[in-house]
Amino acid sequence: MKRTKLSRRTMLRGMLGGAAVAIGLPALEIFLNANGTAYAQGDALPKRFGIFFWGNGTLPDFWVPKGTGPTWEPSPTLAPLAEVKDKIAVITGMKVYTGNTVPHFSGSAGILSGAAPLNNGTELQTFTQPSIDQVIAEAVGQDTRFRSLEFAVQPGGRSLSYSAPHSVNPPENSPAALFQRVFVDGFVMPGSTPMPDPRLPLRQSILDGIMEEAGSLQQVLGQTDKERLEKHLDGIRALEKQIEKLQQNPPSLAACMVPGKPLDEYPDVDGRPPMSEISRAMVDILVMALACDQTRVFSQWFSSPVGNPLYPGATAGHHQLTHDEPGDQPQVQSILLYIMSEFAYLVKALAAVPEGDSTLLDHCAILGTSDCSYGKSHLLEEYPILVAGTCNGALKTGLHYRSPSAENASKVLLSLARAMGMTLDSFGEGDARATTSLTAIEV
Amino acid sequence: MSFRDEPLQTTFLSRALLPAALVASLVACSEEAPPPSGGLGPRPPMPELAAQTGAQRLTVAQYGNAIRDLFGEDINVPTSIEPDAPLDGFVTLGSSVSTISSRGVEKYEKAAFAIAEQVVADPARKASVLPCAPAGANDLDCAKKFASSLGRRVYRRPLAAAEVDRLGGLLVQAATTLGSFDKGIEFALAAMLQSPNFLYRPQVGEPDPKNPGKRRYTSLEMASKLSFFLWNSIPDEELLAAAEAGKLTEDEGLSEQVVRMIESPRAREGLRAFVTDWLHLGELDALSKDPTVFTYYSPEVGPAAREETLRVFEHLVFDLDADYRDVFLTRTTFVNPKLASMYAVPAPTDEGFGMVEFPEDAPRIGLLGHISVLALHSHPRSTSATLRGKFVREDLLCDGIPPPPVNVNTGLPDPSTEARTLRERIAQHNTDPACRACHMLMDPIGLGLENFDGIGRFRSKETDAVIDPSGNLDGAAFANARELALRIHDNDKVAPCFVRKLYSYATAFEPAKEETATINTLTYDFRAAGHRVKSLLSFIATSPGFRLAHEP
Repeated sequence: MKRTKLSRRTMLRGMLGGAAVAIGLPALEIFLNANGTAYAQGDALPKRFGIFFWGNGTLPDFWVPKGTGPTWEPSPTLAPLAEVKDKIAVITGMKVYTGNTVPHFSGSAGILSGAAPLNNGTELQTFTQPSIDQVIAEAVGQDTRFRSLEFAVQPGGRSLSYSAPHSVNPPENSPAALFQRVFVDGFVMPGSTPMPDPRLPLRQSILDGIMEEAGSLQQVLGQTDKERLEKHLDGIRALEKQIEKLQQNPPSLAACMVPGKPLDEYPDVDGRPPMSEISRAMVDILVMALACDQTRVFSQWFSSPVGNPLYPGATAGHHQLTHDEPGDQPQVQSILLYIMSEFAYLVKALAAVPEGDSTLLDHCAILGTSDCSYGKSHLLEEYPILVAGTCNGALKTGLHYRSPSAENASKVLLSLARAMGMTLDSFGEGDARATTSLTAIEV
Repeated sequence: MSFRDEPLQTTFLSRALLPAALVASLVACSEEAPPPSGGLGPRPPMPELAAQTGAQRLTVAQYGNAIRDLFGEDINVPTSIEPDAPLDGFVTLGSSVSTISSRGVEKYEKAAFAIAEQVVADPARKASVLPCAPAGANDLDCAKKFASSLGRRVYRRPLAAAEVDRLGGLLVQAATTLGSFDKGIEFALAAMLQSPNFLYRPQVGEPDPKNPGKRRYTSLEMASKLSFFLWNSIPDEELLAAAEAGKLTEDEGLSEQVVRMIESPRAREGLRAFVTDWLHLGELDALSKDPTVFTYYSPEVGPAAREETLRVFEHLVFDLDADYRDVFLTRTTFVNPKLASMYAVPAPTDEGFGMVEFPEDAPRIGLLGHISVLALHSHPRSTSATLRGKFVREDLLCDGIPPPPVNVNTGLPDPSTEARTLRERIAQHNTDPACRACHMLMDPIGLGLENFDGIGRFRSKETDAVIDPSGNLDGAAFANARELALRIHDNDKVAPCFVRKLYSYATAFEPAKEETATINTLTYDFRAAGHRVKSLLSFIATSPGFRLAHEP
């Protein structure tokens, strides 16, 4: 029988002002459903979860929008979000209840894991509970090539994605590394048939052997080391899953394209890292990683807690400015505008990808937040919380919710986890534990 | 036999390398006067106390060193692996508690194949790890010989028969599937390099026959402990052979290897790793400095400044075997042309590093005059007396500084006609009781370094006002950076702090409260040995804290 000839399409598409040009690989249309909008098998389009995190907080006086509910006006530092106003929910007036024992870290641990961190003095130590991205990845990350993807924009930036105490998921630190990992090493275009590769089962044999060795080691090691090895084994199992996927025919996805290759390096300009360019290059890769269903969970670490990068035009590092700049801190305001512009870029990039009868953004829940509220005094009251995307219609957007009573910020985490399909009674531990969710943002 | 291969004679050993307890007992036997330890008093007994520990994950540097030791200096070591996870700022401490992430597992797999391909592609390299000539792709006997001989180096212990069978079987499976024995080597090697037996340093211990009720590390575990502590890499053949012969649980066999290892050129790599971790020199790669303020700044400054500091320590410890505290007073340093221009001294060489000596009346001496220290503990556009003082307190004197209160206005006034210098701008730290308690621990030290800007260049004025570099350290006043260096050199906390840092580096764990007694005795021995770092390395490596194990 003669095989159906598949037309090779070449698509050139400028993404958001032509920053990235994506070239489409052959799409095997026989795998598409009638409208080309969902898995041919009829499965619903998947939900995705993401974090956008920046360091050093906000200026609450310039952060909180006027008006609540659907009629709100972006505040001065939220101005860049005006364009995506109907796609986000701004949540203000809530508080992180971790006790403010470690500046920048108590807030981070509270808003990301709903629990106080472990510390023995002045230095950052570790989260005691997994961060929300990993809680969700545990539930929805099993079917994709990557359980989760982490990437940091600030050069040398760190991630606060924790699987367990002292088990941090390090971020990709450059667009080139992110691109290589997702779209070069072992990427199979959804809808195409992978070439049989005899190396793949051999790689699995190696991993089987490693599991055996780790198992023997676990029998003689102490409890703590045993648990550490268990985390390593989680990684081995994830890699096995990846190799398994490489031998399957992934279902075709209409919006999936290989994004344009980013630059190898993004050198400093006047001693200042081009964070916007780096961020956009990474987001362009991320968007296609999601559209191609390579992962359903991501975290973007725009800048680190206590991070001190020099922004364009600033006369000191960001962290130093939050403490030292007098008055209304105009430079800190500029930096917040810069960061919010990049959050807006992420939201717009996701909204620009059609998926099913809506967009990729509509199948996402994204938490935008920081390591404290007022950077100057590391406040945990008036916490900055942004949510983008409706998560397949589970969340409300286009509103400003103002808490009247410094409600527990972990309520938002519970709402997000439930929106992602998890059935949880509570989120977090200790004083920061929430047993009720924030119904105001739920549909 | 070449001279280099001759075993070291005991007469050749410097007395300072022998454990102080041994020195003391020799002295007692010969009824000589007590050692010239002037005013040290009686030696506190060394507690028979195991240090806390965990199965350390190889650091990025250790991974690279191990790969080069296994396959040759010229092998290209992949750098994209699981990054170090510093704890309290220390990579070594983090290695005992951190795990390997999913991303790390992916990266280690990719790195393992990248290395394995290079080994197979180079006939000489392949020959160095393949002890037999395979008769064909399915030569199981040769496959097992390969697994057994290379596995012993990679796992740093002889392999169990089941391990050899499994790796040998994998080799033949890959070789027959892919049609060549070389492909099999590639897969078996990639398997070893992803094994937790390579990537971690499991330490379990065994009952100590000489100390009923106590545990000690096995001879093989000691080999890895010693090599990572002293060389920051895997054991060499001689150490592994000594370990297999059970010599490293015996005092004499252990001392013999410790002395050999400290005298080996590889000990320089070990010292560099310690100094890098202790002084946070890794952060010099990501220095954030505004070149519009610091016109001499360029991205090569950080790495060059690190190299300077490492060379100064190397010189002091291995070339001079000098008193550790000399590092604060030495006028000798090592610079490349870039650093020479920043120090305003003639470059000793056209490229690379050369030794220079600052003039006797130079404003800077010793470690606190290094660009590395001065630039690391500054802001991107200015100096910081507080950060510099904090460095001296925490890293040189081991004094704890409480964290800053969370709800406090920490803003400094801008430079103005009333307050032109940093000293004037931070005056509030001295008067406001909320600031004073902690800032008085730091600022008066850091103000002594105000003659050096945020990248360590000398300046006499700030905003046209002459800088006053005076201050005090624990009540001892100083007029400038040179005198500050003397105050630090003379400070009683300098020696025990250095011992604590090196001991916690060796054990890769923050010492528990009760281990203070161990550190006190080690400090006594360190002082008695004239503060020689080589002696201290040996004292720690042979101490009960390093040899005894906890119940797993």
